[in-house]
Amino acid sequence: MLSQEKIICHRLLDPRYGLYQLVLRGKIAATAQPGQFVHLKVGATTDPLLRRPLSIARIDRARGEITLFYRVVGRGTALLTDVKEQESLNVLGPLGKGFTKPAEGELLLVAGGIGIFPLFSLLEAVDRSRVKVKVMWGGENRQFLESAGLPILRELGVEYEAATLDGSLGQKGLVTALLESSLHRTRTSQEMHHSAVAGAGPKDSVLQVAACGPRGMLKAVTEICCRQGVPVEVCLEERMACGVGACLGCVCTVKTATGHKRRRVCAEGPVFDGREVVWDEG
Amino acid sequence: MKVDLTTRLAGLQLKNPVLTASGTFGFGEEYARFYDLALLGGITVKGITLEPRIGNPVPRIAETPSGILNAVGLENPGLEAFLSTYLPRLEKLKTAVIVNISGFSLEEYAKLAAALPENSCIAALEVNISCPNIKDGGMAFGTDPQSAGEVLAVTRKQTKLPLIAKLSPNVTDIVAIAKAVEENGADIISLINTLLGMRIDLDRGRPLLANTMGGLSGPAVRPVAVRMVYQVYQAVRLPIIGMGGISCWQDAVEFMLAGASAVSVGTANFINPLAPLEIINGLEAYCRQKGYHSVKELVGLAHRKEEPFDEEKR
Ligand SMILES: Cc1cc2nc3c(=O)[nH]c(=O)nc-3n(C[C@H](O)[C@H](O)[C@H](O)COP(=O)(O)O)c2cc1C
Ligand code: FES
Repeated sequence: MLSQEKIICHRLLDPRYGLYQLVLRGKIAATAQPGQFVHLKVGATTDPLLRRPLSIARIDRARGEITLFYRVVGRGTALLTDVKEQESLNVLGPLGKGFTKPAEGELLLVAGGIGIFPLFSLLEAVDRSRVKVKVMWGGENRQFLESAGLPILRELGVEYEAATLDGSLGQKGLVTALLESSLHRTRTSQEMHHSAVAGAGPKDSVLQVAACGPRGMLKAVTEICCRQGVPVEVCLEERMACGVGACLGCVCTVKTATGHKRRRVCAEGPVFDGREVVWDEG
Repeated sequence: MKVDLTTRLAGLQLKNPVLTASGTFGFGEEYARFYDLALLGGITVKGITLEPRIGNPVPRIAETPSGILNAVGLENPGLEAFLSTYLPRLEKLKTAVIVNISGFSLEEYAKLAAALPENSCIAALEVNISCPNIKDGGMAFGTDPQSAGEVLAVTRKQTKLPLIAKLSPNVTDIVAIAKAVEENGADIISLINTLLGMRIDLDRGRPLLANTMGGLSGPAVRPVAVRMVYQVYQAVRLPIIGMGGISCWQDAVEFMLAGASAVSVGTANFINPLAPLEIINGLEAYCRQKGYHSVKELVGLAHRKEEPFDEEKR
């Protein structure tokens, strides 16, 4: 749970977007699950005080290594850029509850921006000889997507569709538009298939969606999935202090049989059933 | 040389003077994954109220220089669920449990005190008259000597458990509050709770916390806490549990020299889950090095009138 992890690789992927890759070797890789995160101590002083949560992007059990990607957004991540290869980092983890790993059927991974990072770990964990995996990823432009992980998708040979705000790669616009038309297509072809063979054909392949990105996007993804009756898991982000469930700093709200309840994003999440999440809170 | 770490605060007997602070340690289970909680002097659990509370919306946490602001808003399962679900689990931790209670009226404090069993793992009640994160009640009781005294008086009538009055630092005269709780049946005083503060988000031009204001904790508040422990030690006879920014054994020693008989570790758990254990070990080593047979010898040393520390004489 509390581990000194050795820094095997730490490199700047793209100065324009402040994207870094950090590979750590130690105890965490042995038990890490897709969707879980680590809580890193980024400096030796009390300012900034808190650890920084980063989701686990790749898990290599054989080598005992996990890969994290991060974007410099504040003082904590800026300080993190100073750590050097061969040094070690004080890491809490693996933490939280990750994604459900489907054993068969179809898995659609929907990412917004750097929300792709935790989805890499799920993509690598599923048995793609039994599960059909496809990625839909939206970002600012081609350069961002290239720097943030398109090479990994190509390396893994996974089918993907991109959306960019400026149209420099894939469809112009938001990833939610890709999702909407894709689910619509699937639905229509299934219906046609059904009427043609009158139920005698193969069972509907079970489709499920896993999504990570900005909250507004996750809300939209969940709405689209609900409309199409597709189960969806979302990976949430919230400001964290302890990272282990002790402070109640990081809650989200979910619907339950007995009304709205709080859940700790660091402990019961960060992955939740999208249909349970209360997206609009007063 | 063996150092005696046992600590007695009125009727509260502890195996060592290091506790964990309410609200930073859940109901113990989260940190029981890191070490055996029986090694601690005891734990203080999240503040409970009569009814369940869903707490404030997020964001609840904001980082500040060497500190954090929190506005959790006393989210807790309520008395009934505490008794049925959490207390049996606490029983298994084999450590002294201090239950922190908050009310919105005198009756609520009385009901809570009456309902918490005297013959269980509960070693003491900490009466929180200082929560800054709820709209009414809470801190209001702790900022006026008269109402602070009333809360302790009604609570005292309902229980034989040792009563710890948890004071708010958001006052002009901490000594007046300390005297009021002493006169009304408190056995122990703990301080400090968080200092009211706020941050504003420059991008949105709005308060960063959903609750607008929050309670400041962590190393940033330590000098304020040490000062208040020092003042209260001079003015009342009750034993003191000192807290506010304690992160390492040196901080704990500082509080004890100021007059604390025991210390609580709060925010530091978030950064270093092993902080309380490291503090126990450090305290022991420090006493050994200084030639003290018991940690008790540290308490209030900073108040003595004779010549300052002289290591050679020991
Ligand atoms: C997230 C958080 C929640 C807290 N909740 C409570 C509470 O429920 N009841 C209480 O009396 N104090 C509560 N406190 C105050 C702490 O117990 C402690 O008095 C304060 O944080 C100062 O100590 P520290 O600087 O070591 O954290 C809370 C503090 C934090 C940071
Ligand atoms: S960050 Fe403390 S409960 Fe989640």
